[in-house]
Amino acid sequence: MAKKRYLMNAGRTTKQGQQINHGKDSPEYLAITTTIFMNADDMKEAGIKADSQVRVRSDNGEATFLCKEGKVPPGIIFVAYGPPTCKLMGQTTDGTGMPTSKGWEVEVEPVLPV
Amino acid sequence: MIYWGGNPAECHPRHFTKYTIMQKGKYTQNGRKDRTMVLVDIRETPSAKAANLFLQIRPGKDFELITALRALIKGQRVNEDAVNETGLPLSKLEELVAKMKAARFGVIFFGMGLSMTRGKHMNSAAVLMLAAEMNAFTKFVAMPMRGHGNVTGADVVMRYTTGYPFGVNLCRGYPRFNPGEFSTVDLLVRGDVDACLVLGADPGATMPQPGIDHLAKIPTIVLDPKVTHTSRLARVHITTAATGVSAPGTVYRMDEIPLPLRPALKSPYPTDEEVVRRIREAVKRRPAWLPGRNGKAVM
Repeated sequence: MAKKRYLMNAGRTTKQGQQINHGKDSPEYLAITTTIFMNADDMKEAGIKADSQVRVRSDNGEATFLCKEGKVPPGIIFVAYGPPTCKLMGQTTDGTGMPTSKGWEVEVEPVLPV
Repeated sequence: MIYWGGNPAECHPRHFTKYTIMQKGKYTQNGRKDRTMVLVDIRETPSAKAANLFLQIRPGKDFELITALRALIKGQRVNEDAVNETGLPLSKLEELVAKMKAARFGVIFFGMGLSMTRGKHMNSAAVLMLAAEMNAFTKFVAMPMRGHGNVTGADVVMRYTTGYPFGVNLCRGYPRFNPGEFSTVDLLVRGDVDACLVLGADPGATMPQPGIDHLAKIPTIVLDPKVTHTSRLARVHITTAATGVSAPGTVYRMDEIPLPLRPALKSPYPTDEEVVRRIREAVKRRPAWLPGRNGKAVM
């Protein structure tokens, strides 16, 4: 059966903006850009526990994130822009010069502890 | 005022207080009380708290919603089922249209939730059309909420020097504009360029991965006050003074008002302008690669 696909929306947050000025190597910046927020019902359906590691796969690549419950509508995942989202985001600009930086379809699965 | 696909409470934190809803104007002596703010977004962001009306729409339905609004303001019939597809009932759209028409001066601030999602420039064009058509009823304007500091400045200067805001190719000695062909992301993802000068940006942390991989393959030169993801993959990183802190310059506000910057601190590092000027002077001393360009033949 095909896996359920979610719409990943990358955006900016205030904390992320502050951390850019502190430096992108700080553990805080790393934590912000590797954390996704999902709807609680979606997490339950996908078998993902709160504050656990998940693997996110798009048509362009995959990356691992920490998954938290967030105030997002069902079917949508919010994430702060950063190096991990570069791997997942749309690679063409449809002739506009602007890559699809928001709203790509992704699959999410829990990373099982080894 | 309508904020569409933007989250100013987090991304432009001074916008409310210094520029829009909180400011007292000549005809809005009571500041916030005299204004109506509407937020259109796909999720309830912190900006929703500041809004009189928050309209949560389905992702990727912006163009459809704007088109329905354009019809409604002109009193045309719209298909209710098609409107419901956007995630909003027709009554909410009618409420919004009534608010827009009742305004003495309306503005739509549109963010990247509109310009970076499905539809992209078509969404922006639709919003501009909506604002233009609203002028049949009242004064209305539209303004983009830019993503980074002084993006507007880059656009303005490119515009008055070449006639185009971005994606300009100067290889033939005159400017040619074609987004999708000469724009940075496309050039890097396709691997068309064999050298790159990065000035005040960090594409290594924001661009699609194939573009970043290409930057690592070619001679990339970065001018930046800090170590960034791009400076790490670059062949050369020249540390420069931070503009506005230790280097003077001009920034353009999002409404294209130029503001001079006075540096508060001294820096041991050169400014971006000085580095570029010195590179330019050094390049000028070299023989031209095209015959007749500076009077010297190609060897």
